[in-house]
Amino acid sequence: MSEIATSPQIDRVFGLVRKDHIQRYSTLVVLALMVLGFSLFVGRFLTSQNVMNIAQQISMLTIVGAGLTFGFAAREMDLSVGFTVGLAGVLVPLLLVGGTPLPLALLAGLGAGLLVGLCNAFFVTVIGIPSLIATLAAGSILFGINFLMTGGRAIYGGLPDSYLWLGQGRLLGIPVLAWFMLGAVAVAWFVMERTIFGRYIYAVGGNQKAAELSGVQVRRYRAASLVVCSLFAVVAGMLLAARLGSGQPNAGERYLLDGLATVFIGMTMLRPGTATVLGTFFGALFIGIINNGLNLMGMDTYIQSIVKGAIILVAVAVVSRSTKLNLL
Amino acid sequence: MDIRLTDIVMQFPGTRALDGVSVTFRDDEVHGLIGENGAGKSTLVNVLGGSLTPTTGQVVIGGRPVRLGSPHGALTHGIAHVSQEGNLVSGLTGAENILLGHEPRLGGALIRTRALRRQAADLLREWFPRVSIDLSRPVGDLPMAERKVIEIVRALRGNPKIVILDEPTATLPAREKEQLWQIIRSLPKRGVGVVLISHFLSEIKALSDTITVLRDGRHICTEPAASLSEEKLVELMLRRTGGAALKAKTTASEAQGPVVLMLRGWHVGAVEVPDFTLRAGEIVGLIGLTGAGHFGFARSLHNSAGARAARMEVAGKAIAPGRPAQMQAAGVALVPDHRMEYALIGEWTLRENLAMVHPEQGSIGAGILSPRREEAEAGRVMRLMNVKAHSSGQLLKELSGGNKQKISIGKWLYGAGERYRVMIFIEPTEGVDIGAKTEIYAEMRRLAATGVGIIIASSDLLEIESVAHRVIPFANQRPGPEIPQERFSEAIFIAAMSGTAA
Repeated sequence: MSEIATSPQIDRVFGLVRKDHIQRYSTLVVLALMVLGFSLFVGRFLTSQNVMNIAQQISMLTIVGAGLTFGFAAREMDLSVGFTVGLAGVLVPLLLVGGTPLPLALLAGLGAGLLVGLCNAFFVTVIGIPSLIATLAAGSILFGINFLMTGGRAIYGGLPDSYLWLGQGRLLGIPVLAWFMLGAVAVAWFVMERTIFGRYIYAVGGNQKAAELSGVQVRRYRAASLVVCSLFAVVAGMLLAARLGSGQPNAGERYLLDGLATVFIGMTMLRPGTATVLGTFFGALFIGIINNGLNLMGMDTYIQSIVKGAIILVAVAVVSRSTKLNLL
Repeated sequence: MDIRLTDIVMQFPGTRALDGVSVTFRDDEVHGLIGENGAGKSTLVNVLGGSLTPTTGQVVIGGRPVRLGSPHGALTHGIAHVSQEGNLVSGLTGAENILLGHEPRLGGALIRTRALRRQAADLLREWFPRVSIDLSRPVGDLPMAERKVIEIVRALRGNPKIVILDEPTATLPAREKEQLWQIIRSLPKRGVGVVLISHFLSEIKALSDTITVLRDGRHICTEPAASLSEEKLVELMLRRTGGAALKAKTTASEAQGPVVLMLRGWHVGAVEVPDFTLRAGEIVGLIGLTGAGHFGFARSLHNSAGARAARMEVAGKAIAPGRPAQMQAAGVALVPDHRMEYALIGEWTLRENLAMVHPEQGSIGAGILSPRREEAEAGRVMRLMNVKAHSSGQLLKELSGGNKQKISIGKWLYGAGERYRVMIFIEPTEGVDIGAKTEIYAEMRRLAATGVGIIIASSDLLEIESVAHRVIPFANQRPGPEIPQERFSEAIFIAAMSGTAA
């Protein structure tokens, strides 16, 4: 028996503030300090123009991250998301250029996501390959397919305005992309926190053995989490191409690393050690604000990349020191 | 040369695995170490083998206290440890395994293959002249007994004074055991003492010169093997929990309902149960020593994907053995042992844990959960089970063992209605204080009174004696003759568990 009853720890310095509250919200405090710092020292940071800009920049990332959150919650990692973003980002423009009506093209994009997700799920849950490996291989295959479809070139010209509006337009004064981001976060949050489906995803990730002995069809939910990853990734991919105004076979790649980073940062807050949709959202905000702030300060992208890597290390170090972080 | 452990205490977070154990191991005898799971055998040999450094207490070799520090350190003091799982590299040959890390080399980097084969063969012949093993084959292709011999030869490579053998025959088929037994018996004559751990009492009896019994981390006795009968050993090994309050017996007359579970020709793994019947309202106790098959049988009734049955009926309906989801649909519930591993999620709230089996109770339809509904049902179950917590929103990990166990049981009451007709409890009060224990027993009796058939598999005999209506003892993977309530006594239980007729 290694169980000890732990009563809530009261911190001596902070009095009635519980220690786990400090843990839960420290990342948010850092985020707030960052916003404050950029606002004070970077002139163009706190303008409505720039805020809209950040919203647009992080919307695809947030959507990818929201999908990955399902995977992480079920303890499955999808390393193919970046290339799945790329897949939708070339498939939909290709179809549109070829004259397919917009709704059909978007449906085809979703269908492609479903197919990728089901393939990943098949190799992970039926064949039994760890998701890390199966999705790494899938990513490589998708990378090849994306370039094959386009012959390695970007697809531009002839994209309908209605499609471009999704990525560049505004609705009620707010970028359409931001609406999509908010919608994706709302849907993902509701499914994870307020449905039996989400509860079971968390159960499978939280204690697979207990879930199975409680009658949960573990394999089904592990598979579903991977399908959701792919579906969110294709939505992000379709929006990405609309924002860029062209379909680029390698445009999605950076969403893998950044997407994982949003989830890791999210896991440091709210329910430390657990991937949550809101945590991921704040994680995306964190990365978006850093990128944007450093950009405005004139730092080049290499520096941004170094800073981001350092932040991932710090985030994961914080999480794994305080809770057991069982990723795989 | 003697190796003496004196007043060894091993404290782990929340549990004391060894509590002042003193034993002396000699280099001219086989020393058997027995005790139930959790008695401290593994901890003790890990201290002896250098893998664990005791919290307090000393290891004394040849009159001088030493610090072993690591398995390597123990080896330099003449103590070799052959672990239960085996430590061979299955892709390498027998010879390569025997000399692993000590290969004859050419210029520091290249291995002299022929010299290696010869040295390994010499070692084997020197120690066990009558054993012949093909050392040029990968050990993965060899029979289990030969692999064990190779491991023992490797342990003997550094001429140790003591070899620890942890369950050496556990994975062996019966006919291969004989060979290993002879090898074990031959070692003390060559000046190598053996510390032997085994679950098989007959094996311990047959091989040991001296036997030490551990129970709950304490040293119970060290005696010459000849002076201890198997029955006496069982009695010494079994843990007894005090408290006359627990003795409130369940009366047999309560158990007269219709049959809720009927099995014919049940096979799962090596366990075979030809015939089993459970009635509504009765509590059947399953007892046995570790490895006797009673836990495996109890578990297989809820997760029976690997089982075969000539016939299985739950609540009068014939069904096929299946996975937990299917068995639950038929009306079978399981409250497993090791609750944090098999039943609960520490980072979740009590409410979420309780709703794990039947979340639909808290749903307003279409799979959408209502926190308010969940709270209401969780509150009901928590009041029923008398769970002590601030609220249903408290995190599970903050509760005591007894309250956690109540949640583990409560999972099957949340939103379940009258659904479960068969409930299986495995070690239902492990790590639970006396107060919560009596409450859990009361709950089991209440459930039985509502027409649930209950199976309880436990190694706590007093627990079985106070809640069960009848007991089925298991030995050697088979159920023995049933013991009715009027014949309940510790002596009869022990006799039945050791496989001797009472």
